[in-house]
Amino acid sequence: MGATRKYVVIDPATGKIDRRIFSEQAIYDVEMEKIFGRAWLMIGHESLVPAADDFFHTYMGEDPVILTRDGEGRLHALLNMCRHRGNRVVRCDDGNAKRFMCTYHGWTYRNDGALEYVPGESEAYYDALDRPSLGLIEARVETYAGIVFATWAKDAPSLEAYLGDARWYLDTVFNRRDCGMQALGPMKWLEPVNWKTLVDNCSDNYHVPTSHLSSARVQTRYLGRPPLSHEDQFASPNKHAFVNGHSITFRDADDNVPRYVHGVSSETFSLFQEYHDATMQEVERRLGTLRARRVQLGNHSIFPNGILGLRLALPRGPLKTEFWHFVLLDRDMPEELKRVIRIGSQANNGAAGMFEQDDVDNWRQVTAASTSRFGRQHPQDLSMGLGHAGPHADYPGLVSERYISENNQRLFYRRWEEFMNARSWADIPLDPIKAGFDGTATMQG
Amino acid sequence: MKTKRARAAARPVALPPPQALWFELMQFYIREAWLLDERRLKEWLDLFTDDVLYFMPRRKNVPRRELQRELTPLGDLAILEEDKRYLEMRVARLETGMAWAEDPPSRTRHLIGNLKAAPLENGEVEARTAFLVYRSHLETDHQLLSGCRDDVLRKVNGAWKVARRTIVLDANVLLDKNLSVFL
Repeated sequence: MGATRKYVVIDPATGKIDRRIFSEQAIYDVEMEKIFGRAWLMIGHESLVPAADDFFHTYMGEDPVILTRDGEGRLHALLNMCRHRGNRVVRCDDGNAKRFMCTYHGWTYRNDGALEYVPGESEAYYDALDRPSLGLIEARVETYAGIVFATWAKDAPSLEAYLGDARWYLDTVFNRRDCGMQALGPMKWLEPVNWKTLVDNCSDNYHVPTSHLSSARVQTRYLGRPPLSHEDQFASPNKHAFVNGHSITFRDADDNVPRYVHGVSSETFSLFQEYHDATMQEVERRLGTLRARRVQLGNHSIFPNGILGLRLALPRGPLKTEFWHFVLLDRDMPEELKRVIRIGSQANNGAAGMFEQDDVDNWRQVTAASTSRFGRQHPQDLSMGLGHAGPHADYPGLVSERYISENNQRLFYRRWEEFMNARSWADIPLDPIKAGFDGTATMQG
Repeated sequence: MKTKRARAAARPVALPPPQALWFELMQFYIREAWLLDERRLKEWLDLFTDDVLYFMPRRKNVPRRELQRELTPLGDLAILEEDKRYLEMRVARLETGMAWAEDPPSRTRHLIGNLKAAPLENGEVEARTAFLVYRSHLETDHQLLSGCRDDVLRKVNGAWKVARRTIVLDANVLLDKNLSVFL
């Protein structure tokens, strides 16, 4: 194959990681091309553009992209760059518009990307401008259960193949109900952190009892939530599973326990229980008995930069990441339950989130340590649980024996190497879809 | 203090009501700013009614003709939408000694000004102020947060308390690493 071995950053035998990948501009530049230029990237949700001519402004890596729904209801992901000089044609976060006019010279595009009008096309251009070839650059778009993905790579596999068996787990949250989900957000803020640390932290359940003990303690005291300790985490029957770059943590759930975290308190628990019981029959029809009753998705990331569902780590140079926090809610959930989950989500996560605010100084110092010529000679140690993962009879992917493990994180950096060393998608391996997708749920919901 | 009070008693000045209200509220806000900057957060919590809503919407880029959409409404994802219990929980969190975003704590300076106050018919008062809050953290992290507060204040046992606070930041993408200080 045509893959090179230029980027070898993790030693699979020891879990040592070269810290330069968190700070070097030259490596970052290649990431933008070989990872963000190729992968299927989460860019939004269908519910953010519900009506014809709606648009939502988003990013693919560092590139500004307009997610539009055209007059016929089709979705488009358009590079927000006028083909003349490169000015942005949209400056708003969202809205409804049939056309986008560049504010520099007035070139005007339809919301399907076609260049419709150029001032002076006859007089100044002598009718010689090849207008049909100058539409906004369009990415490929596909959706999974309402979540919109886009890729610049013409040779990328289908989104279904890209997600692969990770969807077996993701379905248990994002494809749970017939009604689908709605997205609220995003809340946006800038963290002084390399984007990869936010992603690999999604499988780091080891940090929770140290980083987040203050929040867990007060939530036990004020909200009646269960206490948190290292001992509980080590004894947890939860596991890691890794598929195609996507990092899943999950647990063998008790089928009678509601699946939600945010907003659960001693006062609201009965609301969650009622909802869980009332919807279980439908969920079982959609996902089959095993997934409906016995699998609960935990923290997870979707390669390369999706964080815990529809939340995005948008790279802004090697030392900065713009974080976008959304909350996803089942569309026909009772309003009171939506309110409780929304408030719980924004109180825990987001810029002011009690949990999330305590992560940032830890992460930023991981990034900062990687800028030190001396410090970075000493690799990160990701050796936890080496040799304690493999295929599993019941669960797809490469599955760890324990919940507290660095298995997914090691595999994430291996996946990073696969993208960085590949010359094209032909060099990037994909696990075949093998899981039993029981039930009626499909990619389209 | 005694001298001042004695002098006031000897020579009472009847301020026109709007001016008196403005003066009273400005003192309230100055006291609040010092409580925050001096990290006297339990006393700060006492400045809020038990039914307070402490709300910080998101602020979007929208065209001038659609400015009614600029702030996300209650019910959409917000940056903060806290009741008294959540505020108390946040303060209690800081006291655990393990709230790493604020341990060591930020150094803040709250400057509150541009007060506009208008009494409501039910005896509450609408008060609008602008703020500049400087935050310095750890060694060299620093950030200037600017915005306004739209408050509704209510007299409880003779003292003003905030019954509703809407904090509007002058930022779209928040430039700080997190929002761990109170505004």
